[in-house]
Amino acid sequence: MNKDSQMRAAINQKLIEMGERERLKELLRAKLVECGWKDQMKAQCKDVIREKGLEHVTVEDLVVEITPKGRALVPDSVKKELLQRIRASLAQHSTL
Amino acid sequence: LISKRKPQLLPAGCSHVNAYKVDNWRPNLRVIYQCFVWSGSAETRRRKAKSCICHMCGAHLNRLHSCLYCVFFGCFTKKHIHEHAKNKRHNLAIDLLYGGIYCFVCQDYIYDKDMEQIAKEEQRKAWKLQGVGEKYSTWEPTKRELDLLRHNPKRRKMTTNCTIGLRGLINLGNTCFMNCIVQALTHTPLLRDFFLSDRHKCEMQSNSCLVCEMSQLFQEFYSGHRSPHIPFRLLHLVWTHARHLAGYEQQDAHEFLIAALDVLHRHCKGDTTNDNGKKANNPNHCNCIIDQIFTGGLQSDVTCQVCHGVSTTIDPFWDISLDLPGSSTPFWPLSPGGDGGTVNGESHLSGATTLTDCLRRFTRPEHLGSSAKIKCGGCHSYQESTKQLTMKKLPIVACFHLKRFEHSAKLRRKITTYVSFPLELDMTPFMASRWASTNYLPPGLYVLVRYALFAVVNHQGTLESGHYTSFIRQHKDQWFKCDDAIITKASIKDVLDSEGYLLFYHKQFLEYE
Repeated sequence: MNKDSQMRAAINQKLIEMGERERLKELLRAKLVECGWKDQMKAQCKDVIREKGLEHVTVEDLVVEITPKGRALVPDSVKKELLQRIRASLAQHSTL
Repeated sequence: LISKRKPQLLPAGCSHVNAYKVDNWRPNLRVIYQCFVWSGSAETRRRKAKSCICHMCGAHLNRLHSCLYCVFFGCFTKKHIHEHAKNKRHNLAIDLLYGGIYCFVCQDYIYDKDMEQIAKEEQRKAWKLQGVGEKYSTWEPTKRELDLLRHNPKRRKMTTNCTIGLRGLINLGNTCFMNCIVQALTHTPLLRDFFLSDRHKCEMQSNSCLVCEMSQLFQEFYSGHRSPHIPFRLLHLVWTHARHLAGYEQQDAHEFLIAALDVLHRHCKGDTTNDNGKKANNPNHCNCIIDQIFTGGLQSDVTCQVCHGVSTTIDPFWDISLDLPGSSTPFWPLSPGGDGGTVNGESHLSGATTLTDCLRRFTRPEHLGSSAKIKCGGCHSYQESTKQLTMKKLPIVACFHLKRFEHSAKLRRKITTYVSFPLELDMTPFMASRWASTNYLPPGLYVLVRYALFAVVNHQGTLESGHYTSFIRQHKDQWFKCDDAIITKASIKDVLDSEGYLLFYHKQFLEYE
């Protein structure tokens, strides 16, 4: 594992321990609903299901098709805010 | 390539789980959920943080899955869990992010009813431990509801242009004050949902239950009839229960709103139950739909200027009445075009007063003066003090009443000062405690305390002869002007440029208690 992934793993661990990861997930969920991302993704999923056929589609099909689109469509403002919150949480915790 | 020969998807999941569902499988599965999927306690979180990494590559991302048959974590994206499944013939794994069960034989996530049940329970438990409480879960029909749906196959499709829910109201003689309020109430989403799902169980013996009449009104509005409705029964019931509003003269729409909410609240007795399902006898601790939607808590802090002791009281409110500049009570001058104007995106046309200005004034500390000394519990004597009002509990629907009608001893007049109000309102600056540490918000959860405008009641004319109309919001971004029997499409600009007398805002994100 290179240094980057080591750091990510360490941050992830810390956030889970603090219980902060769950809270950040909730914040992210609310933001993504608010900016319409969730609705966009829902529509994309419906498209994939229609394309593959309801009887044959698997979760994997959906994951493969919409993950790249989903990642691309997250607004920069949301990314920025999450990043700020993560920084703030980690900074807060390191003083304890 | 690989032919996806999928066995028939039964409601009970796939047949391959049957090999797993033996012996002590339930508590085992619960432990997996508690430790590795939804870790509620600090201890389980620590364990999860340390041990949830792929046994083959050490990654914590890549859709980590846990084998259900042994202690093995493998990432899905790199197919490490697939290798394990093949080698060990352990064909079930659980997604540590979402808790879904994957069957390697079916090559898809499967939904076994028993396992789903356990998953739901464990998730709720973890949420409770984290202080998150209940969260939104999609509606699943009960058996009775399924029967009802099957026996009543007719469906109404709500397209973006359909006008169901819109209906004019005949003016029965200066009853426009009532018509406006009815329009606002029938377009209050939560109230509409309550009545359209038949939640009112009437306990009144006579035919004079206003809640039943309200229910009827919703039926009329959502019937699809386009002819205006004649609300004579509603008017009669209002005259019966709110004598002060009887008669054919023009009344104040705000007074009517409060009277209507009061009667509805009183008549909701049959619907109020406390946590144990028993009937709540205390009229002040009601949990009826009116209280749930409209009741907020206003905190009043009186600070003694000598000992700085604070005396706090909290009173329920259904609306906030705001003084306007130009009235005989002095309006605290706020710098026009200053930072206040851009807080809620209101237009600050050359120093026009904004709703935010009015709210700032409402919640500012006020020095009570030497002629209004309060008895201080700390000093045991009368002292000068400051008083401040803030919102302790925000209602789901916030109604702001701009005090345009002045009825002082010397004059009776209407204040027509333009007050600009926003489409979206952030209530945080006016709350008693800034962010999370009140009783009503789970600690640490970032709640968006935002409100959206959905109805505006306007008054045209003078105190002596005037007319009420309203704007209501339909389908998220469509607005309509309701002028008694006449409904016309309106633009957002029409709404925001109007004078504004009663402003109705709806909370955008709802939390469960």
